Amino acid sequence: MSNYAGAADTTAGAANPNMNASEIDSHQRAVSYTCGDCDQDVQLRRGEPIRCRNCGHRVLYKKRTNRMVQFEAR
Amino acid sequence: MPEPTAEELARRNRLQILPETVSDQTSTDFPGHWPGENHEWNLEHFRKNFKVQFHSDGTAFLLEKQNHAIPKHRRIDQVFSLIGLDASIANAFRRILIAEVPTLAIEDVFIYQNTSIIQDEVFAHRLGLIPLCADRLSLHNMGWYIKPTEGESNGNELTDENCVILHLQVKCEWKEGGLEKAAKGETNPNELYVNHSVYARDLVWQKHGRQLEWPEDDPVRAVYPDILIAKMRPGQEVIMKLHAYKGIGQDHAKFSPVATASYRLLPTIDILKPIVGADAKKFADCFPPGVIGLDEVTSEDAQKHDELQGKEGELKAVVANPFNDTVSREALRHAEFKDKVKLGRVRDHFIFRVESTGQWDSDELFLQSVQLLKTKAQRIKRGLDLMMK
Repeated sequence: MSNYAGAADTTAGAANPNMNASEIDSHQRAVSYTCGDCDQDVQLRRGEPIRCRNCGHRVLYKKRTNRMVQFEAR
Repeated sequence: MPEPTAEELARRNRLQILPETVSDQTSTDFPGHWPGENHEWNLEHFRKNFKVQFHSDGTAFLLEKQNHAIPKHRRIDQVFSLIGLDASIANAFRRILIAEVPTLAIEDVFIYQNTSIIQDEVFAHRLGLIPLCADRLSLHNMGWYIKPTEGESNGNELTDENCVILHLQVKCEWKEGGLEKAAKGETNPNELYVNHSVYARDLVWQKHGRQLEWPEDDPVRAVYPDILIAKMRPGQEVIMKLHAYKGIGQDHAKFSPVATASYRLLPTIDILKPIVGADAKKFADCFPPGVIGLDEVTSEDAQKHDELQGKEGELKAVVANPFNDTVSREALRHAEFKDKVKLGRVRDHFIFRVESTGQWDSDELFLQSVQLLKTKAQRIKRGLDLMMK
């Protein structure tokens, strides 16, 4: 898993070699995940190790988006 | 022209219920069936013979049994008789009641968040089936929303006149100290969580446009507030917007205003030969309570029937209330009642039972079905006129 985090870091750097500071910031918005073990909210930024801050568990779940889906009540 | 006697007419009007068959089901009062008699349909004759009777209904029982959001004086489970009309007409009313009287129901569900374990489409389906009620005049004045078919613009616009918007937003959380209680082994969800169940009462109506003028005291709401839609656990949440439109049962059962509308024919029981003593008790037990009564044999009865002589004061079976009979034919199974009883039904006596889902009253629904049938007849008439031109 730590390998994966490292790889993500390098690809990010490789893809945007000439990125200025403000652009990097906007890309570094924290995304919140749910810990697979303790169910806590985990805020992760790009390049951070994938690990729960609370219990150290390495499995995190992505949350459902707030995007609207339309259904027919049939 | 020979006029049939009243007895003859009554005989013609009976279905026969035999141990294993039902006979004389079809009506015979049409031209050409009885030689020399005129059975043309006649408005005056219909007016003279048609009768409507109301019976005690089950509304009070229905409303008492479950928590509901409609006033007690509403009559939503009425029983009434239509006497003197043809089965085709009675059946037309029944079918129109089930499939063509319009009601309001949730049709479009916009899900912003649903982390409950109920899948989105299942959740949407459950929402659609919830019976809604509101001010009935406003509902009546609502227009139709026609959905555009894919790739075309043949629908009409969503307005305050054809769309009711509802919101559903519930989030389940731990109660104060709930986690500790759970650790101690408490399992009762009422003790541990808040909002662990999503009920129909959580639907909130968002008025818009002209709907702001709808009566305050009769909002759009679920008829039965305790309908369980979903169960949740801490951290789960539902946020959705719902569009309710007017529709008919033909399109989807959720739009059907009744649950259900049905009719049966009035049962008849004819005791041909007196049934007395222990037999009378047994006979009464063959029917639902109250259908057969027990009377004392009088001296008059004894004079009329030879077999009753010397049996004055004993009990004999009399028909008290055939209306309540379920026509189980139990009496026909016993040898001792052979040739003593005749079961039947009156062919033109329809006992309707209209059980409304709560949006409309039973009688309103029935009148709407009459109105709809009339509109259909007028449409056919217009069509025929066009053909003749």
